[in-house]
Amino acid sequence: MSKKVLAIFLSAVMTLSLAACGNGNKSASKDIDEETIQYADIEVGKDYTDIKTTIHFYNSRTDMEKSDYSGKQWKDYVADFNKLYPNITVEVETDSAYADNALIRLQGGDWGDIMYIPAVDKSDLSTYFLSYGDLDTMKEEIKYATAWEYDGQEYGIPCDGTANGIVYNKAVFKAAGIDALPTTPEELLKDLQLIKDNTQAIPLYTNYAAGWTMGAWDAYIGGAATGETDYMNQTLIHTAAPFTDPGDGTHAYNVYKILYDAVANGLTEDDYSTTDWEGSKAMLNNGEIGCMVLGSWAFSQIKQAGDQPDDVGYMPFPITIDGKQYATTAGDYSYCINVDSSSDNQKAAMVFVKWMTEESGYAMNEGGITVDKDNDELPDTYAEFESVEFIEDQPAVSGEEDFFNMLNADSELMVNTGGNQKVQSIIEHAANGDKTFDDIMSEWNKAWSDAQETNGIEQKY
Amino acid sequence: MPQRSVAKKKTFGQWIKSRKGQQAVVIFAFTVVPLILLLTFTYYPFCEMVKYSFYKMKYVGARTFVGFNNYKAVFERDDIVGALKLSLYYMCGSVFQVALALYLATILSFKVKAGNFFKGAMFFPYLINGIAIGFIFKFFFTRGFVFDTVLQWCGFQIDNLPYWLKDQSINNWSLVGTSVWRYFGQNMILFIGAMMSVDETLYEAAQIDGANKFQQFRHIILPSIKTIVTLNIILSITGALSAFEAPYVITSGANGTGTYFVVMNTIAHTNQKVGLASAMAVFLLAIIFVCTILQKLFFRFVFRNANEEDGSKETKVKPQKRKLLKQQKGSDVA
Repeated sequence: MSKKVLAIFLSAVMTLSLAACGNGNKSASKDIDEETIQYADIEVGKDYTDIKTTIHFYNSRTDMEKSDYSGKQWKDYVADFNKLYPNITVEVETDSAYADNALIRLQGGDWGDIMYIPAVDKSDLSTYFLSYGDLDTMKEEIKYATAWEYDGQEYGIPCDGTANGIVYNKAVFKAAGIDALPTTPEELLKDLQLIKDNTQAIPLYTNYAAGWTMGAWDAYIGGAATGETDYMNQTLIHTAAPFTDPGDGTHAYNVYKILYDAVANGLTEDDYSTTDWEGSKAMLNNGEIGCMVLGSWAFSQIKQAGDQPDDVGYMPFPITIDGKQYATTAGDYSYCINVDSSSDNQKAAMVFVKWMTEESGYAMNEGGITVDKDNDELPDTYAEFESVEFIEDQPAVSGEEDFFNMLNADSELMVNTGGNQKVQSIIEHAANGDKTFDDIMSEWNKAWSDAQETNGIEQKY
Repeated sequence: MPQRSVAKKKTFGQWIKSRKGQQAVVIFAFTVVPLILLLTFTYYPFCEMVKYSFYKMKYVGARTFVGFNNYKAVFERDDIVGALKLSLYYMCGSVFQVALALYLATILSFKVKAGNFFKGAMFFPYLINGIAIGFIFKFFFTRGFVFDTVLQWCGFQIDNLPYWLKDQSINNWSLVGTSVWRYFGQNMILFIGAMMSVDETLYEAAQIDGANKFQQFRHIILPSIKTIVTLNIILSITGALSAFEAPYVITSGANGTGTYFVVMNTIAHTNQKVGLASAMAVFLLAIIFVCTILQKLFFRFVFRNANEEDGSKETKVKPQKRKLLKQQKGSDVA
């Protein structure tokens, strides 16, 4: 008998509460519509201030947890966030081996509410992560919207954007008698020669031994070397011989040729096989190194590595296309939200992400490009990039998303995906003089076009 | 006869309670656990790997059957064949390593001042983590760092010294040196252990007979520890084929130092050619099998000769002692 009463009572309560929702105010209707929490609709500081919950944020920035971090630490960001949202507690967990562990944690499912998207396939995004909204809306909200888009839905928002250039020591360039930054490969090589002749510094430090620092050269063959937004993801896969000299000082050929010529002319360190990455940061800072070819993330690290932070500068990659220099800009690690979290946690997480993107000043603090669409402020990292046009790579045409990976694997060139050895081999051959640069490039061309044939990819260009 | 028929009539329940049944149960119960572990964690994955070697595949995604194409590629690719040639450096190194270990072990097995200190000091490198050793030697070989400084103390000019890791004619020897430094201590300890089991009276007898230290080594120690010597050489040669840590950490396999394992690692993990890497692994296994069998045959031949020589030369030894030696040999073979 009592069971029946309980059942009736429960169903009555449920009906009532449903009815209440139907008639209720706006915020209540948002509550029940948990499927459609939209990033674009959230007004930071006004919406969801009543949520009381704890969210867990798992990321890779162990340095930002340390008290000696010279920038703003995680706990300060959280404290600022709590001024607006005192009821949302944010737990930050950082991991020094993030790239590996994040994938394992993701499989386990017990990673919290917000993390950086690790290397997952785009088709799996919706299994793990909550959509921020559809792509067209998100394009109005953030830059780099296409990076983690699948099926028209947006799953990741980058914490900041980076653009690639060359880290250099201003004092060394000045002492060598260089007034204007180089804009072509020839000018750069001439400047390196000047550094060698006029100063004690190593003109170009290759960081050969670390390996990944060599793969960093691949980052320049796209927008920076071609000025085309569709080159990297659309043109390259259909180009039969992408490493051919176009004769105008542009494209991949001339990017890698800088390295070959620099080594062949003795403009790099004496013993490349024992270079030391950690030490090189301080050496560049102190003026023992002229320049290093690395992404903008390295700029702030090198600034902090010694006593002369003001000497460290960042210049655009010296390739000029029709009188203009370009820099490809792309998002760094992206925030994503756990699709299995409770509705309150998802809301709190999305509020936090939006706050980080729009209000926290994170990108400027870290020397990156802001992700918020309406914010065009540039950090001092890019002080020398005034005349440079920033371009974003367009995504691959639908149906061709996997082509680049297939070609990379079969040609074993692994462009932008750990192809360190091929760039290292440039240095070896240049130093030993046992292969000309054109020989190396034609080998790469052959590997690339062979891979296209194996996979039946059309050669259009 | 009647007894037998009674035994045949035993039910299963009775059999299981009998002594023989209990024996069978115990044997089964004790072997099944390790066997299952062995099958699931060694043989099953191995069979899977052999299967992979016939496919063109990545870790995820579709697989295509390609027959023996991967095996063909193993023989056709310059980098893989070149990596096998690199093993010769490490094999030379391992022969030197065993010889050095044997020499030092012999010296230390006689009475030496501070012998235990030397044993400890020479065994110590083996206790250090291989990755740490990699980092140590990276700095050790850096231009103008430890090694160059020490050589300069000895009167060398830095301009005459080679670049230990840059110069492709010498960098593999540098890496081999590292691995010899690390492993000879372990070989030496194994040899000392074996030498301690040699009967002391044999030395005394040999001394009475006027044998010098080298003759003692050749005719007493070496025959007594031949099993350990063979084992160490087999392990060293197999280790030479699968050298990984030193080239991976010190040079990351670049600049012509990519050994078979390093190349295999790159192909499997950077290039994601899992099928080809599996084929390389199977091929390496075959090489190791062949090497081991060849060595076995070789040592059987060498040591039999040595023993026969023993016999012919040791005519002075009293017949009783020869009998003793023969008995020992017999128990060794058993």
